[in-house]
Amino acid sequence: MKKTILLSILAAALPFVVGGCASAHYIQTGGRESVVTVGSINIQDYIQAANSATSDLLASGVLDKVSNPPAVIAISRIVNNTGEQIDTDLLTKKIRVALLNSGKAQTTTTMGLGGTSEDPMAKGLQQEAEFKADQQTTRTPDFTLSGKIIQLTAKAGSTSQSTFSFQLSLTDAKSGLAVWEGEKEITKQGTQSAVGF
Amino acid sequence: MKTRILLPVAGVVLLAVAGCRTSMNSIENTQKTGQRQMISDSRVITDGSLARKVSFVGVNESTTPGGFLKIQIEVFNRKHSLQRFSYQFEWFDANGMQINNIVSPTVGDQIEGGESKFISAVAPTTACKDFRVKFIED
Repeated sequence: MKKTILLSILAAALPFVVGGCASAHYIQTGGRESVVTVGSINIQDYIQAANSATSDLLASGVLDKVSNPPAVIAISRIVNNTGEQIDTDLLTKKIRVALLNSGKAQTTTTMGLGGTSEDPMAKGLQQEAEFKADQQTTRTPDFTLSGKIIQLTAKAGSTSQSTFSFQLSLTDAKSGLAVWEGEKEITKQGTQSAVGF
Repeated sequence: MKTRILLPVAGVVLLAVAGCRTSMNSIENTQKTGQRQMISDSRVITDGSLARKVSFVGVNESTTPGGFLKIQIEVFNRKHSLQRFSYQFEWFDANGMQINNIVSPTVGDQIEGGESKFISAVAPTTACKDFRVKFIED
């Protein structure tokens, strides 16, 4: 009798206990608690790749060699050669913010690939200002930033491995020559149950 | 009878364990051309386990052509097996205020047994004058 009552109470309380333990919480973006999936690029990977590219670029001193600092950079094509659909802004935006904060470079938002602009309103206002002034006020970019993200996969038994290669090039807009090149490879390995693909 | 079975099994187990523990040998030139500008450092150790495995050898700094502070830390794995850890750089300006850096990642790394390796980072702005690096065992 007592056992039956006790079991009934436990059965009734179980959903509340389990439900109370399963809760969402905030974690540091890109921190150690972040989920790591082998088959896809995680936010911590973008942060690492952007950090590596920015550090290398700033340390190279290339951006200091422009005649009229800070250097102006236009974002060109970033090719996605991975097995998933990604927004390359997750990488380039971080680089742009870091370069702007460094004081060494600015990014143009009115000049983009194929004539498109990131900020159509700014482009319109700029064109209006040029029309009124009857002269070009747009500063031609000193450099363009282009790149590619490549995914290499490998499998041995139940272990799967993905390497994401973030390749970037900074090209002198006048000469067409790459003045800086950077590559960051991030490799992740896991067993079958941890694989995201 | 039991000894005849147990001894070979124990031998196989010992061999397997020994195979998992590999440490690194290295060779380098004695007469160094490059001179590292070592700086005195202040260490706070709260994880004795990590400190016993991966220890700090020294810190040296330099300035890039663009005026950015560059820090290099040498760490050494005192154990004979691979160790995993994460680290993160923090940067401070001349007033001791932390500079928020959008691309300051927590980097997961590994170091082979007996290996000495360098971890380096470049400050995000020329205003950075001081730094702190946080290490945690994975």
